Amino acid sequence: MTTQDFLIKWGVYGLALLPVWFCQAFVLNRLPFLPLTPMLLPLAAVCVAVLEGAVAGAGFGLAVGALCDAVYFGTDGAMTVGVCVVGMAAGALAQYLLRQNLLGCLLCSLLSLAAMDGIRILARLFWGDWELGAMLSLAGREILLSLIFVFPVYALFLWVYRRVPKKTVL
Amino acid sequence: MKDFFRRNGGLILIAAILLALVTAVVSTLLGGVADPLSNVVQFLTTPARNGFNAVINWTEERYNDAFEREQLKQENEELKQRLAELEEKEREYEAALQENERLRNVLELRPKERSFDELESAMVTARSASNWASTLTLSKGSAQGVEVDDCVVDQYWNLVGVVAEVGENWCTVRTLIDSATEMGALISRTGGAAILEGDLALMGEGKLKLTFLPENSQLMSGDLVTTSGRGGVFPSGIVAGHVEEVRTDASGIGQYAVIVPETDLNSLKQVFIIKDFTIVE
Repeated sequence: MTTQDFLIKWGVYGLALLPVWFCQAFVLNRLPFLPLTPMLLPLAAVCVAVLEGAVAGAGFGLAVGALCDAVYFGTDGAMTVGVCVVGMAAGALAQYLLRQNLLGCLLCSLLSLAAMDGIRILARLFWGDWELGAMLSLAGREILLSLIFVFPVYALFLWVYRRVPKKTVL
Repeated sequence: MKDFFRRNGGLILIAAILLALVTAVVSTLLGGVADPLSNVVQFLTTPARNGFNAVINWTEERYNDAFEREQLKQENEELKQRLAELEEKEREYEAALQENERLRNVLELRPKERSFDELESAMVTARSASNWASTLTLSKGSAQGVEVDDCVVDQYWNLVGVVAEVGENWCTVRTLIDSATEMGALISRTGGAAILEGDLALMGEGKLKLTFLPENSQLMSGDLVTTSGRGGVFPSGIVAGHVEEVRTDASGIGQYAVIVPETDLNSLKQVFIIKDFTIVE
């Protein structure tokens, strides 16, 4: 794959990330019938990781995480590492243990969201926020709602994956 | 293991850790001022955010026009009745005000003063995309003199929140229902002091709680809660919300009141940032 192919491929993935981001930041958080906002950006990193593997997952996760840190309030760099690890782990899981398909993506998404919310809860407990019941309830509902959105996000990135050059050279 | 780590993006992970460390250190050092990456991303996306927000607001208005007309008619009738009651109260208030001024003159007291010299109008351009915090992004930032800890109110002078992060042409407001909120409050009817606190469970319902209630306080549903202004950071007398109910806390000993904010955080479009104020009680 030439450098130009590489840039085009990840440019297209970046473009595909834009509607996901806008949906999460401007549309889904304003719909009155949705009790919570689903976490679409981490899901996007997981979907790309499942399709492209661990290295690409880590790289895309780093970019998505940096975007999350830039647009979310109070994350202070945690999302950059968090989503990068999630992308890397999801890619490795799909490559070596699961299948690189929708079912594998669903399982990786569940594990990734649970890990991210688990760390968030531990961090809040560490900083003296003892509302454990409320935090677990919120995390559970957030994960369940987000999992519904794996289907459209996976479909979007699968569509991109089928149209971009396959072999990644870093 | 080392090879597995290297083959599977270990170097990228190290880069991510370094980037995160830099972001964390810069955020800590800047203390509320947005870090350069956030500033650049938010600055560049401002036109898109404003445009998208305008489209969504327009869609919401069309939806309300189409499906909530009856509700609006009923609300209009109720508001007319409320206006009549308030006009009657205003006449009584005018008389009391004049009497108060005469008595102050007799006692040679310093006149009361409440002035909000520097108000900055701002549009709400984005809402919190995370379920763990309640924030709003506004269209004004450090270029317009907005600073961290500036108080934000709506057009009816109800408390919206406090500026928590400032960028070049944007700022993030932590709303009063955010779980990190903590500020002094006064119960209007009794004059008792208490603490307004955000609560994660109540945040989902759009509410917050009032803790450290004064002893023997007989709170009633509907009691107004205002900012106390103690500490000088926030102006006093800004309405935060009203009491919905009083509950017993998890320990079974203490009590807290559930507060419903007066401002409608879900439909806010324009707010005002109080950049400077003078209050003489």
